[in-house]
Amino acid sequence: MPYNIAMVSDFFFPQPGGVESHIYQLSTKLIDRGHKVIIITHAYKGRTGIRYLTNGLKVYHVPFLVIYRETTMPTVFSFFPIFRNIVIREQIQIVHGHQSLSSFCHEAILHARTMGLRTAFTDHSLFGFADAGSILTNKLLKFTLSDVDHVICVSHTCKENTVLRASLDPLMVSVIPNAVVAENFRPLHITPRANDRLLGGTIQIQPTPKPIGPNDIITIVVISRLFYNKGTDLLIAAIPRILASHPNVRFIVAGSGPKAIDLEQMLERNVLQDKVEMIGAIRHEEVRDVMVRGHIYLHPSLTEAFGTVIVEAASCGLYVVCTRVGGIPEVLPQHMTTFAKPEEDDIVLATSKAISALRSNKVRTERFHDQVKVMYSWTDVARRTERVYMGISGDISPQEFYGYYPGEIQEAGDRVRNFSLIDRLKRYYGCGVWAGKLFCLCVVIDFLLYTFLEMWLPRANIDIARSWPKKLSEMNGNSTQSERDRLGSTT
Amino acid sequence: MSPLPDSPPPVPPPVPVETHPNRTGSLKPPSELRALPDPTRLAPEDAYYSPSLLRSRPGTATYEEPIRPLSGKAATAASVAALRPPPAVPGAAARKENRKLRGTGARRRRKGAWKKLLWVKQSYPDNYTDTETFLDHLQRNPRVRPYDFWPLVADSTVIVQHVCSVAIFICCFVGIVQGRVSPVSVVCWGSVGTVVGWILWDWWAFREHTENRRAAERAMEGDDGSSASSMTSSVNPSHQRSNAQKENQVQGLGLSIAQNEPGVPLRRHSTGLSADSFTAQDPASPPGYANGIVGPFNSQTWQLNNHFPSFLSRNRQRLSTVKSAFLIYFSLLGLSPILKSLTKSTASDSIWAMSCWLLIMNIFSFDYGRGEGAGATKFPASLSTNAAVMASTVLASRLPSTTHVFSLMLFSIEVFGLFPIFRRQLRHISWTGHIFLTLALVTVAGGAVGITLRGGWAGAVVGSFLGSILTALTMGGCSWWLISLQKYKNVVSGPWDPARPVIRRHWD
Repeated sequence: MPYNIAMVSDFFFPQPGGVESHIYQLSTKLIDRGHKVIIITHAYKGRTGIRYLTNGLKVYHVPFLVIYRETTMPTVFSFFPIFRNIVIREQIQIVHGHQSLSSFCHEAILHARTMGLRTAFTDHSLFGFADAGSILTNKLLKFTLSDVDHVICVSHTCKENTVLRASLDPLMVSVIPNAVVAENFRPLHITPRANDRLLGGTIQIQPTPKPIGPNDIITIVVISRLFYNKGTDLLIAAIPRILASHPNVRFIVAGSGPKAIDLEQMLERNVLQDKVEMIGAIRHEEVRDVMVRGHIYLHPSLTEAFGTVIVEAASCGLYVVCTRVGGIPEVLPQHMTTFAKPEEDDIVLATSKAISALRSNKVRTERFHDQVKVMYSWTDVARRTERVYMGISGDISPQEFYGYYPGEIQEAGDRVRNFSLIDRLKRYYGCGVWAGKLFCLCVVIDFLLYTFLEMWLPRANIDIARSWPKKLSEMNGNSTQSERDRLGSTT
Repeated sequence: MSPLPDSPPPVPPPVPVETHPNRTGSLKPPSELRALPDPTRLAPEDAYYSPSLLRSRPGTATYEEPIRPLSGKAATAASVAALRPPPAVPGAAARKENRKLRGTGARRRRKGAWKKLLWVKQSYPDNYTDTETFLDHLQRNPRVRPYDFWPLVADSTVIVQHVCSVAIFICCFVGIVQGRVSPVSVVCWGSVGTVVGWILWDWWAFREHTENRRAAERAMEGDDGSSASSMTSSVNPSHQRSNAQKENQVQGLGLSIAQNEPGVPLRRHSTGLSADSFTAQDPASPPGYANGIVGPFNSQTWQLNNHFPSFLSRNRQRLSTVKSAFLIYFSLLGLSPILKSLTKSTASDSIWAMSCWLLIMNIFSFDYGRGEGAGATKFPASLSTNAAVMASTVLASRLPSTTHVFSLMLFSIEVFGLFPIFRRQLRHISWTGHIFLTLALVTVAGGAVGITLRGGWAGAVVGSFLGSILTALTMGGCSWWLISLQKYKNVVSGPWDPARPVIRRHWD
């Protein structure tokens, strides 16, 4: 049962970021599993129209008005004509939206439901409930998600948050974590690439590096955008204290942001320029090269849904010191991490603990890479996402998908969202006293627009796009790297 | 993948509670609530190091059972939060033993307990919802203080005072415009009140000052040795609790010394500054401050220095206050012809609407706080004063002569600029005086409204009577309303909220 899937989000390449690479990696792995995946996003500068990426991944860059930080203008209906056209051209069955701040994604889910398609939604971030922005976003999310078929969250904390924000049935929310491409985050002693520094052209796996002596330099790496919510204030407060109590420690700070000035001021005030190296913003490809220069990765973030970067750090063989916030405690096992409270004193304490643990060679960091490789892989993510697709399109029985409880068959039947307009309106009506009526109005207008489009631009006049030729090997899901490389080289 | 239905055990096993600090009760000190949840809850080591389960869990029966309310049509936040089992009962220990024995059933060993971890491959489906741990870090209304009725009513007197003084101002204006009241008499009465208020205020300041000095002397005699250390420690910006009392005196003195500098242009400014010097929160140390204190004083010379400049500074301060009063007086006198014709070309309707809005803005943006702490600087109190002065400026153009304009402007400065300072100080000094002032203001405002609407002394009596009753009813009703609205308060917080970083500011 290969599906035709459309990933819709405002955020995609060429803009760098976590959501963007998530969409890309998931799409490639789904293509490897035999599905057809297209991506719909808005036009970026110099990138309009249709593009093909590696593996035959087709990207539609739809021209649209961008208002703020690559988010499009939330017009409820204006996306519908071109969206319908794309969906019919590509014979899409499942529309999968990403990221709750993307208005493209919300509109696409609404229109897809009107057109009778199955929908899924992935939430990548955490939101509070107090401030005005969150309240508005949460209402919008409730609007979209009251009729969505399934929701995917990247961590259990994220799931709790989304269930509360959108008043969802928890069984309709799956937790599928992010993953890392472990080959791109190898530690220094596993260096298959010839151009890597220090180890020259060696291809073989090196013997494990010699243990750290009591007086060797330990380098602590920090890679994060220097914003308030990334905990830069904690970092600024903690660095001088850590350096004061541990003379043989150096810092490497990568990233830029509004707090960079504060950080530099701290360095100048305490005359720490020779111990703290600031290398500014780096590209995602360079992250590994920076990481392998260190021994400890410090992550003082204040909120985090998943924290891909700490998985990348652990994959590079770094011992991780991080704050216990958001979904971070779920991500890595205890022997790879030291947790701290988001307090200056506790971060200093945890870092000191980590330094002494490394000095006494209690931590086997050289094994981290293989362990992380087993824990997180995009193939696994794609397999689990595929199960969600099977569940929402009825290839797995609802009893199996949502769990079977005796005497609850009619309840389980309710989770399967049928397309009849009156049932959809019922679901939207429960969203709130005024919001419910407004949402119902939107849905009715959307439906009328759909009928109008069916008459004005009949389906028969829309050409069906030819799919990318599928590879011949059977779709067993265990597609290897070599297969992908071969296919990638043909494009 | 999904758990198959087993026959439920006869007794539904209790839920272990000892690992759930957030669930057992809501009565916790706020400091604990602020902290992150118990670290043992999510600690991954029990999953990784020991295959045997540290936290024993119920079998399939509890998996099915509490999920039933979940599958309702709209699982709202409240219902999700409500599905969590009730907190522990004291007699649960014995039953827990029982469950532990039963817990090692074949099914348990086969499936393993679900863990709230992402790195572990679990045999549960991705949409599995563990009813025991799901949302168990959720806190509702963690920092809500319930209001009490009478303190709320007492606090609302501040608003009543301000609204009353605005009403009095409006009535005076209406009286002046309609020619019922002479503007000169209004401003005279206002000025007399202001002068009386200032004398009172000055006397309070003097009394507090002498008390402070006496206390300082007592402290000096009590411990000669440590006084020097307290003085030096006051130079250090880090406040130490034990020395807080002495620091207050020292800083208060320091500020009043600093008042010697000439060039405090407005009377309002000078009074505001010295008012601060007596509450002495956190002064931005002026140059005189450090000079007056740092230095090798022993206690004797320090006391001498203490006596002299205090009298001098008080007199100088009075002098500067009088000076700035005259400054305002004469500049207003000079400005009044300009103000009179400033908005003459604007239609009267626009003037009424504009002044209405400006006065409403004044009432809503007025700083009703105590004028201390972090909240005092958060909202610009100047906005409200500016709005009021602008309202009176706009209104002044409807008056016939320059004397009228001058009187109204001076009166508005007295009412909106100086009176709030006096009221705040009065509330600080004596609560009875505050209550009496409130009563007087309510009566006068009611009477003024009565005269304006009906005219005559009968109107005044009826107006003040009705006004008092209405005010009392409104105060009580609004307080009761606010308290009854508290039950709708639903603040949800959990691990998804951004953490508040705790930083010791010693690097600044």
